[in-house]
Amino acid sequence: MKTILAFLAVLAAFVAAPFALGPYYTTLIIPILAYAIALTGLNLLFGYGGLLSFGHAMFLAIGAYASAVMGAKLGVRAFEAQLIVAMLASGTVAALIGLLCLRYTTIFFSMLTLAFGMIFHSFLFKFYDLTGGESGISVPRPSLFGASFASMSKTAFLVGPFYWYALGLFSVMFLLMALIVSSPFGLALKAGRDNERKTSFLGVPVFKVRYVAFILSGIYCAVGGAVLAVSIGAADPELSYWTQSGNMIFIIILGGLGQLFGPIVGAVSFTLLQDTLMANTEYWRFALGAILALIIIFAPRGILGLITRALEWRRR
Amino acid sequence: MTEMLLRALNITKRYGAFTALAGVSFDISKGEVVAVVGPNGAGKTTLVNTLSGLFMPDEGGVMFEGRPVAGLGASALALRGLARSFQLVTIYPSFTVAEMISVGAFARAGQTFRLLRPSATCRREQAQVREVAAAFGLEHRLETTCSALSQGEKKLVDIASALTLRPRLMLLDEPTSGISSADKDRIMETLLAAAQRLGVESLVLVEHDMELIARYATRVIGLKAGSLVADMPPDAFFRDPAVIETLVGKVPHNALG
Amino acid sequence: MATVDLLFAALFNAAVLFLVTAGLQLIFGVQRIVNLTAGSLYALGAYFGASVFEWFSAQGGSPVLLLPVLILSGLLAGQVGFIVERVLRTVYGRDEAFQLLMTFTFVLMFQDVLRYVWGAQPRLLGDLPSVYGTLVVGEFTFPVYNLLVMASALVVAGLLYWLIERTSLGHVVRATAENGRMAEALGANTRRINMLVFVLGSMLGTVGGALVIPTTAASLEMPIALIVEAFAVVVIGGLGSIRGAFLGAIIVGVLRALSLTYFPELEVMSIYLVVIVVLVARPYGLFGKAEA
Repeated sequence: MKTILAFLAVLAAFVAAPFALGPYYTTLIIPILAYAIALTGLNLLFGYGGLLSFGHAMFLAIGAYASAVMGAKLGVRAFEAQLIVAMLASGTVAALIGLLCLRYTTIFFSMLTLAFGMIFHSFLFKFYDLTGGESGISVPRPSLFGASFASMSKTAFLVGPFYWYALGLFSVMFLLMALIVSSPFGLALKAGRDNERKTSFLGVPVFKVRYVAFILSGIYCAVGGAVLAVSIGAADPELSYWTQSGNMIFIIILGGLGQLFGPIVGAVSFTLLQDTLMANTEYWRFALGAILALIIIFAPRGILGLITRALEWRRR
Repeated sequence: MTEMLLRALNITKRYGAFTALAGVSFDISKGEVVAVVGPNGAGKTTLVNTLSGLFMPDEGGVMFEGRPVAGLGASALALRGLARSFQLVTIYPSFTVAEMISVGAFARAGQTFRLLRPSATCRREQAQVREVAAAFGLEHRLETTCSALSQGEKKLVDIASALTLRPRLMLLDEPTSGISSADKDRIMETLLAAAQRLGVESLVLVEHDMELIARYATRVIGLKAGSLVADMPPDAFFRDPAVIETLVGKVPHNALG
Repeated sequence: MATVDLLFAALFNAAVLFLVTAGLQLIFGVQRIVNLTAGSLYALGAYFGASVFEWFSAQGGSPVLLLPVLILSGLLAGQVGFIVERVLRTVYGRDEAFQLLMTFTFVLMFQDVLRYVWGAQPRLLGDLPSVYGTLVVGEFTFPVYNLLVMASALVVAGLLYWLIERTSLGHVVRATAENGRMAEALGANTRRINMLVFVLGSMLGTVGGALVIPTTAASLEMPIALIVEAFAVVVIGGLGSIRGAFLGAIIVGVLRALSLTYFPELEVMSIYLVVIVVLVARPYGLFGKAEA
């Protein structure tokens, strides 16, 4: 119930945003939604499953490239079809490498996911004919539910139909995740994070539970990636680089690790933060790094953790 | 003749040159409460780990319900009726008591991979959770976060979570360690009553407290340096000063009655 | 001919990689922290080494002193490890994901520190290695500077082995690696050991960076490029193992030289494919130990 109310509040904010902020800022919100979708998936794996992947940018890129290849090379403009292909492609890749990566936990898991991410990145970079190499592939405007919006300008399309589409997609993915984390499966995943051996002696096949979470996280990232590609207008190899994976983890921690609203809060704050920093200093990376360090040291449960603490303090 | 649940046959486990278990054999039948005793380093925990399939013995084997335990995997074994707890209390700090107990209930019902239904709305499993909690006297604690429990309650929740599986045989590695001696008796009593109420057929417990053993065990297995040196009913055990001397070091004055 | 040149290039790569990854391994071995900052320290060593040598030359210093000056400046730059460790200390005992991320924040911060101090343009030291001339063996010519760097790496490998296996300090370090709390109970000052090990590990990274500067430009791409290779080295060799770093560095050095010559598209890919093969065949690397 509390979750639903909080979600409605978030939804209301995003519905009001385009009217309050105007087109320029509205185009900035679409990547927020894209990251929020992707990170909602990564949060399942990292926050609830305790598995730190340093390679999930790969799945983001798979989604982006699926959309780009479908639209630009195969002429399939229907975004719904692009999304399905993105999810299938990403789910398949996750199912394959998950078998290997999940033989490990902790740092070894991080390293192995990093290794696969690096391979994928150099694949995108070096196989020019297929992937467009360094410059990537530009993404043509997709059609949404069969409507092509050909007469609209690019901005009008993004801040109009595509914004609402992305918001709808985020809502569906978010609510599904809300169910997943509160389901018996979600409990089993968290239990395995807290104590793997104990959990397996409670009759839970921990590996299989993590495997499903891994695949789900890959699928969520691909959906986010596809939305991101449309909003940027291109799929390029940078999307899959390991520093991108690092940023994704940063956003989750910033918002609040292992909390349902962590990714959306993180994505909004990160974008605002980055935007403000970049406008004010050339050395925004330093500031970003310092802020992340401070959060890790003093507020390991992120912004949401700070808010919760503040509320509890007021109640006393 | 009562039904046999578990058979350990000549199990031997070595760590390099050190032999932790040397050809240990025994059967455990329905209705027994078996206390495993012995000095530190005698191989008690190794025994429990081998019986529960966590360690592969170098020689010999363990059969549960007539089938080998080895290679089955912890989760499958637990679902088949052999559950265990660990020496160090293991709780999930962020879980509520109800959540912690429900993990096993969902596993037992084959619902672990149910993704789209909030666990709180699964009535049948929640009823089981309440039943198990009631058996442990934890019904007023269901919504408490595990990390906020007292040490004794943590122990009970830990064991309750495993008993939710309704195992036939439960292995308990030092269920009363870290508990003040005043509370030990109460914990043990709660635990045994709950086990009985939940249909557990046999218990194997590693235990140091001779008074508890005298009061609750139906059989005592003594290990020393990895070898089985005693396997007898408690009254015979406590009447044998030589055995007590070997396994405990001193004769507890009031256990002899 | 081509083969010998290729092997020589590979071993030079391997020597530098070994220095940096030995630092990574030392830190992981004792502190269980994968130090993503290693790449940044390497770049710092390179930039700092370049600046120090330029200054040294401007003061009329002899170019023959190139190698010692670079080593000294590398050792000096490594002192930044004191600061990094001081901050990192706040997350000791926390979840290792947070420790890893903490080092990631340093990667971000170092990137801008380097840009602030040295600018965005790459820095090159000119054709300095030629002061040491070349060594001609039959039909092959080898730059002596590169040989000296390889020798230095071997010396460092020997010193590390001696330090860890033969000295009382090494004994304490090994005990801390086995079990920090136990070592503390036995009277070891874990706090000082951690500090010492981290600074030593950092110095290995900065010296590696300083030594490479006469042959490669220092640039802002350096940290990331290096950490990608260093990761491959430590995973192949096994996390925490100095021996593993030695062998892993050679494997990665050779792989890189081979793929650069024959399949330039596949450089990173071939290295990481080997990483995966090794992990599948030997889950904890060639010399790694399973985590207890």
